[in-house]
Amino acid sequence: MTDAFSSLPTNLREALRRAALDFPHRGIAIFDSRGRSCERRSYAELFELATDAAARFAGLGVGRDEPVLVALPTSWEWMEAWFGLVMRGAWPVASSGAGAMAAAEAQFEKVDKVMAAIGARQVVASEAFQAQAGEHGFRFAAGGVITSERLRGAAPATRGAAATGVSDGGDVAFLQLTSGSTGLPRAVMITHQGAIHNPVASDEAIGAPFGEPMHRLAECMVSWLPLYHDMGLIGCLMLPMLCGLDSWLLRPEAFLARPRLWLEHLGSHGVSFAPAPNFGYQLCVERIPADKREGLDLGAWRAAFTGAEMVRPETTGAFCAAFEPHGFRPESLRPCYGLAEGTLAVTFDVKGSGVRTLPAPAGADAGFAMTDVVSNGVPIRDTSLRMTAPDGSILPEGAIGEVCIKGPGVFRGYYRDPEATAATLKNGWFSTGDLGFLADGELYLTGRTKDLLIVHGHNIMPDDIERLADSVTGGGGLLRSAAFSVARGAAGEQAVVVVETADGNPERLAKIGREIRVRIGRTMGLPLADLVFVRRGRIPRTTSGKMQRGELRQHYLNGTLERLHDGPTDETAPHDAGTEPGP
Amino acid sequence: MNLRETTLAAIAKVSKVDVVGIRPDMDLVADLGFDSAKALELLVELEEALGIEISDEQAARLNSVGDILAIVDGM
Repeated sequence: MTDAFSSLPTNLREALRRAALDFPHRGIAIFDSRGRSCERRSYAELFELATDAAARFAGLGVGRDEPVLVALPTSWEWMEAWFGLVMRGAWPVASSGAGAMAAAEAQFEKVDKVMAAIGARQVVASEAFQAQAGEHGFRFAAGGVITSERLRGAAPATRGAAATGVSDGGDVAFLQLTSGSTGLPRAVMITHQGAIHNPVASDEAIGAPFGEPMHRLAECMVSWLPLYHDMGLIGCLMLPMLCGLDSWLLRPEAFLARPRLWLEHLGSHGVSFAPAPNFGYQLCVERIPADKREGLDLGAWRAAFTGAEMVRPETTGAFCAAFEPHGFRPESLRPCYGLAEGTLAVTFDVKGSGVRTLPAPAGADAGFAMTDVVSNGVPIRDTSLRMTAPDGSILPEGAIGEVCIKGPGVFRGYYRDPEATAATLKNGWFSTGDLGFLADGELYLTGRTKDLLIVHGHNIMPDDIERLADSVTGGGGLLRSAAFSVARGAAGEQAVVVVETADGNPERLAKIGREIRVRIGRTMGLPLADLVFVRRGRIPRTTSGKMQRGELRQHYLNGTLERLHDGPTDETAPHDAGTEPGP
Repeated sequence: MNLRETTLAAIAKVSKVDVVGIRPDMDLVADLGFDSAKALELLVELEEALGIEISDEQAARLNSVGDILAIVDGM
């Protein structure tokens, strides 16, 4: 047990080399976009592919410690690029490619902005991505795109392509994009040490109820999580590679189209485990009705993690009820807590006795509509956890405060953003912006201090929604908007936008309201649960003019927010999306 | 049911909006509350109900009910 931690690889290059040597029969299977067929390669083959790609990246002039975006879907092209950059000693930055429902142009704009913000010269993407970005006039399309074809056609550098030597574990390995308050994603600097320690410590915590690390018991991980998300990258790619397990990777779209695929594969490749946000479990309950559950055998699925967004007992209960007759063990459901700034995992349930709850205490965020709060377990090895009051003082057990974490997984800082780093990272302690309390050393989440929406496990900054709403000018003296989320039962968090206006004409407001919904929908693929018009000055602000979204949200929840015009598009809103607090 | 009716029935099923309330000018996200999960659910429903395959490129351009009906009309 302890020797696993005394002999960890020093960096990810070494980790991949060891996987190739130590686990010759293990590897990664990646499904096509529909989840029909898969292409499997061993870690030894991945090592060769990445070593070759590193030489070609070097031949293309990609340098050490140079950030390079990877905007590809889950595929072998992604693996070649990401691991090739790691072997080169450059920093891969996984970014979402074009997704369903969000306009391609919005994706290009995001890539363009991220590249500018982190000073990246190159993005690895498909030929179609390059062509379309060029048609839209994005500058990076001219010379800034490395397609797989260009990479494979590049002359390899003959010397010094693969980074060698013992890189300090504290060196940056890659950048993880997460949402930032300025409307730009923040680039979280993840160290080699964090990327290696975190998954191995997770393996230990996952195996705790079985008395041995999970990899001694399991054959594989089955995941549909995107690789640009920390739970997909660290939990579903690094962990299997470091611990010698097979990884079966579905694209998120394949799961969203046919959720049953995930469960089928969890049951058919030997003892398995897998994480998903609450929404993934909810989707399985809703989209795989009783008559479609026939033939599923989930007996091999020994650990089912739920994290990345608030765990809802309604969902976990419904999931167990639905799938227990098909071999699922309720004690396999294991809540966990983590975030990009912690590399991934912070706490895990290590009891393995099912989802455990406490009644929601006074002071839990009413907007999350929780009657019970869920135990997320205890910190992983070498990691500390404490709750702090707004003045920074450390709170005793039972008191709600901001969750602060310290340990080998804590990030080095936000790349090129020393202010944001200094504001959140002090003496090794990272202030997460999440609120919770400890009971018997276990973490229970109750809300968050940061202005952030987490929809289907994806973090969304309110600024991004507000900017789109503010860009709609209906000629009615539109002023300012504010966005926040409210949660209702198993549906999880949903977006609400409040718009200040001097206009009182219901028809014009209805038109503006629809345009706002269309613009946010086309750009972000995000439906609004509610859109509220209020008179100017109704969005609370501090004396310095800073918007107070939390207070506004409280007014909304209390029903004390005076609507100018009762729901301009309610007549066409779907029945299940309304989150009307008042009459 | 003809192809148009089949299509509208699939949209109604996924959006949980009564089929009589669904009009071609409706936006999938803004008016019918689609998110990416519902959009992909709809694609599967349509492919199975109509016996067609909708490419990723086609799917990326579907914003409204009318956009979907246009595919059906072209069959």
